[in-house]
Amino acid sequence: MDNAWSITFDEPVAYEAGLLFQYRLLAARQAGKIPDTVVLLQHTPTVTLGNRGRDNYLLKSEQEYADLGIDLFQVERGGDVTFHGPGQWVLYPILHLGGNEADAHGYLFNLEEIAIQTLATFSVDGFRREGKSGTWTEQGKIAAIGFRLKRWVSFHGMSFNVENELAGFETIVPCGLEGEPVTTLSKLLGEDMPSMPAVGSKLLDCFEEVMGRNLIRYQSMDLLPEALMACDPPRF
Amino acid sequence: MAIPEDFFYSKSHEWVSFEGEVATIGITDFAQSQLSDLTFVELPEVGTTFAAGDEAAVVESVKAAADVYAPIAGEIVEINPVLEDAPETINADAFGAGWLFKLKVMDESELDVLMDANSYEEICPQS
Repeated sequence: MDNAWSITFDEPVAYEAGLLFQYRLLAARQAGKIPDTVVLLQHTPTVTLGNRGRDNYLLKSEQEYADLGIDLFQVERGGDVTFHGPGQWVLYPILHLGGNEADAHGYLFNLEEIAIQTLATFSVDGFRREGKSGTWTEQGKIAAIGFRLKRWVSFHGMSFNVENELAGFETIVPCGLEGEPVTTLSKLLGEDMPSMPAVGSKLLDCFEEVMGRNLIRYQSMDLLPEALMACDPPRF
Repeated sequence: MAIPEDFFYSKSHEWVSFEGEVATIGITDFAQSQLSDLTFVELPEVGTTFAAGDEAAVVESVKAAADVYAPIAGEIVEINPVLEDAPETINADAFGAGWLFKLKVMDESELDVLMDANSYEEICPQS
């Protein structure tokens, strides 16, 4: 199994800082300076629109988003509008696809599988829905996906609702799906709710399993490999 | 799906098929399978010239977007008119009806960088 790196941030990262870090990782991965690397972080409140994201799925004006303390970004990923905020884990895999490893299923399928397997470890039934990507539970959508490939290296990825406030989603039509509820792991589990770090760790375990990579795990405050430091990760 | 033996391939999962000095280019079956159902294709304009490795097109599924590169240098002489209304043609027939664009080859010496079907099969994951 190939070794890959993960880097986990404990503090919410501003969307723009996270995006810059992704660009630097993407360039470093394309140049072969780093192995496949997956970033696990939470964002400060942000609404993002994908490539074909229609702004009629935004229910507030730019000024109202600003007043609510929500950043607004149009980004070059697939997928439609979504919300990120503290309490939601975001997984950004910077992976070179299409090498020799067995990507028997598509990358989209694999991202969904990571969410489904993570839910299963907490005895929650997660599933796919025909024609609607992402991962769903009986109570609604829990994981949203949007990614881009450049020279067959992936960036952007998947968000997974753990214990975030759902109010942010009420300012948009998530993924352009009207009347579809969004849920979180804490809503599903109630009192038996594991901690954010415990859920993050499970996401990385399932990433290893599904993507067939062995992760060397770093926290953002650790002494990081030089090649990662060169990508200038956000520091707190 | 079998990899056509008489086509050539790039490391970034494009295929090339030659007819005289015109090269037809598409994405491989592996490439389309990673993205799932395609919903939009952004194609270059006829007359545009590209160097080898330039971004020439973007293919998008509901949740994914991927750049497509010109595997060799050339001038766009034709784009696939079917894809505007039926991008899913790429999923159905990546090596045939789902071709993306045709290039007039500018520098034949560049063709050496392409792989034959056997070499591509070695780097391409088999599903």
